[in-house]
Amino acid sequence: MKKYEKITEEIVEIAEKLLKENTVEKVIGFGIGIFTEEVTPIFISNPENADRLVFNSKAEMSLAKYLLNYKDQKVAIVAKPCDSRAIATYLAEDLIKRENIKVIGINGCPGIENNTACEECDIRNAVISDYTVGKKMTEEEIEAKLKDKEDKIEKMTPAERMEYFQKEFERCTRCYACREACYVCYCEQCFTEGNQPEWVGDSVKLNDNFTYHLMRAMHMAGRCVNCGACEMACPEGIDVRALAAKMCRSAEELFDYRAGIDSDQKTLLSDYDVNDTESGFME
Amino acid sequence: MMIKKIDKNQFKELFDKLKENYNIAAPVLIDKNKKTLVEYHYIDDFDKIDWDEQADSSPKNIIFPQNAPVGNDYKEKQYYDTEQDTLILGVRSCDIEAIKTLDQVFIEDEMYIDKNYKARRDKITLVGLSCPQRNKSCFCDTLGFNPVESNYAPLYIFKDGNEFWIKVKDKKFESVFENLPDGNQDKLEELIEKRINTFTESSFELDIPIPLPEKEMFEADIWEEMSEKCLGCGICTYYCPTCYCFNFIWEGKDGESTKYKNWDSCMFSTYSAHASGHNPRDSKEKRYRNRIMHKFSYHPLNYEGLGCVGCGRCIDRCPVNLDIREALKLTEKYLEEKGGAKSGKD
Ligand code: SF4
Ligand code: SF4
Ligand code: SF4
Ligand code: SF4
Ligand code: SF4
Repeated sequence: MKKYEKITEEIVEIAEKLLKENTVEKVIGFGIGIFTEEVTPIFISNPENADRLVFNSKAEMSLAKYLLNYKDQKVAIVAKPCDSRAIATYLAEDLIKRENIKVIGINGCPGIENNTACEECDIRNAVISDYTVGKKMTEEEIEAKLKDKEDKIEKMTPAERMEYFQKEFERCTRCYACREACYVCYCEQCFTEGNQPEWVGDSVKLNDNFTYHLMRAMHMAGRCVNCGACEMACPEGIDVRALAAKMCRSAEELFDYRAGIDSDQKTLLSDYDVNDTESGFME
Repeated sequence: MMIKKIDKNQFKELFDKLKENYNIAAPVLIDKNKKTLVEYHYIDDFDKIDWDEQADSSPKNIIFPQNAPVGNDYKEKQYYDTEQDTLILGVRSCDIEAIKTLDQVFIEDEMYIDKNYKARRDKITLVGLSCPQRNKSCFCDTLGFNPVESNYAPLYIFKDGNEFWIKVKDKKFESVFENLPDGNQDKLEELIEKRINTFTESSFELDIPIPLPEKEMFEADIWEEMSEKCLGCGICTYYCPTCYCFNFIWEGKDGESTKYKNWDSCMFSTYSAHASGHNPRDSKEKRYRNRIMHKFSYHPLNYEGLGCVGCGRCIDRCPVNLDIREALKLTEKYLEEKGGAKSGKD
């Protein structure tokens, strides 16, 4: 599709320039594997290799997390709109230095294949960027893209919902790919890894799987940017994003808060307003 | 050796007869909400079997389940699985070779025989399937395995359209098959020959010494580049048919506990973490190095064969599409530049 090709061309051009002029040491972007046609994260430091960068409908990974590996280096990163929100959140959480990164933000993101999060995406343009590629989508265009999809989980009765999540989480092998793929999950020690106390049992039993997913969802409140990377990573096809997405909707409904809209915003849990509603709390 | 040739309906009848004495597991298509995958599951309907696709998960899950209760040592009570005899049907060469790897480690190593593994394994019979075609990322032939036939399975199926040839290699099973129509050995050889020819072009060329030289590769400066994109999840090891690392965990409550043998993964940051807080593999490049080195250096140093059978699952299922073939190519290049490497055994 034309849109992806255009974006790819622009990315290559900018990356090449940044590397040639030594503005950055490295560009983090998407490329194609040597043996496959699959998209894979690549790290380019030689301007001659900039043409290995691509953007297409399979660029499903969130690259933002790699920024944490290069905190003290000057790097550029290719960011889909959702990834740009992740970067904004990192800035808001004071994890990376603004002056060290150059964001090549994608505007008018045409979306990722099979990523259900894209059907719900009303961002579509990079929220922060130093360089932009693609063509900015207007609000009307974004509106038109939004699939009028009813949320089947919201519509369920509590019993049906329980059954749905039981069926999902019972398949979980706790490979933790969802955690590792998620930009939010950067804790040095995850609660799943401690044994004093042991929050989650090691065996993949339904109750422990629930504990893992519910506790992770709690940590997503006001931080998940609905990028869908968790769902795309899951080898068991589990609806992992559902709980995090619900937490996002709640943060929005209750506190009018959205993660990663602005790199100066206060994080949800570190802010307080006397007018805050307490509805939903332990309901 | 006995050779039988039957059609689909005859196989169906055979399947129903076998069902009376065996649990039967085979690759079947499973709807997993966001994905549809082929996996080994216990089945009782012959028509469910997927003969054409390489399974997305390996039969390891049946032979060496992710969580297996192994009893409580403190009470001197051992816990063995008491499952019925099991046939795993339609296992391709890569997975058969992988099970050989597991057997080497858990049963054939005189140092320690894992009684729980052995008890389960003794009840399992592998029914091999001659590989009909390469999957998109597998490379068993590059590693020297034969996709058309592996000798490690006592029973082997060659599927040709709706016809099934069955090679009964172990006398023990002859009585089960003796009433079926005989197959012509020459015809079968012809079929095998034809199939071998479809695999003549190797999936990719690789020239590395096996075992990889331990010290040299341990100190090589390629691991960071190789693992730069790795997330450190458990997928490549959990879905690998040969990975066998495990943990012992006691679980229970109210003073009662059961000991479990649970999968572990050297890609997890906690894998080799010591209670002191020290971790000898404290970065992802060290962990990635361990994964490659275990498969291509440590395993072949200690046993015959390899710790990787080239099934390609770690490639297909990795969330960032990290490709072990690229890692092997980088190894090849590194050793070449170093002026030709000797294998770890020299
Ligand atoms: S990626 Fe899927 S299988 Fe792995 S831990 Fe997450 S939900 Fe479970
Ligand atoms: S929870 Fe899932 S959708 Fe939300 S930020 Fe993490 S990876 Fe993205
Ligand atoms: S599956 Fe991929 S990302 Fe996960 S540990 Fe293995 S190589 Fe790394
Ligand atoms: S390392 Fe990868 S290719 Fe090799 S056996 Fe394991 S999953 Fe298959
Ligand atoms: S050390 Fe790593 S590569 Fe080797 S068996 Fe264990 S998990 Fe697999």
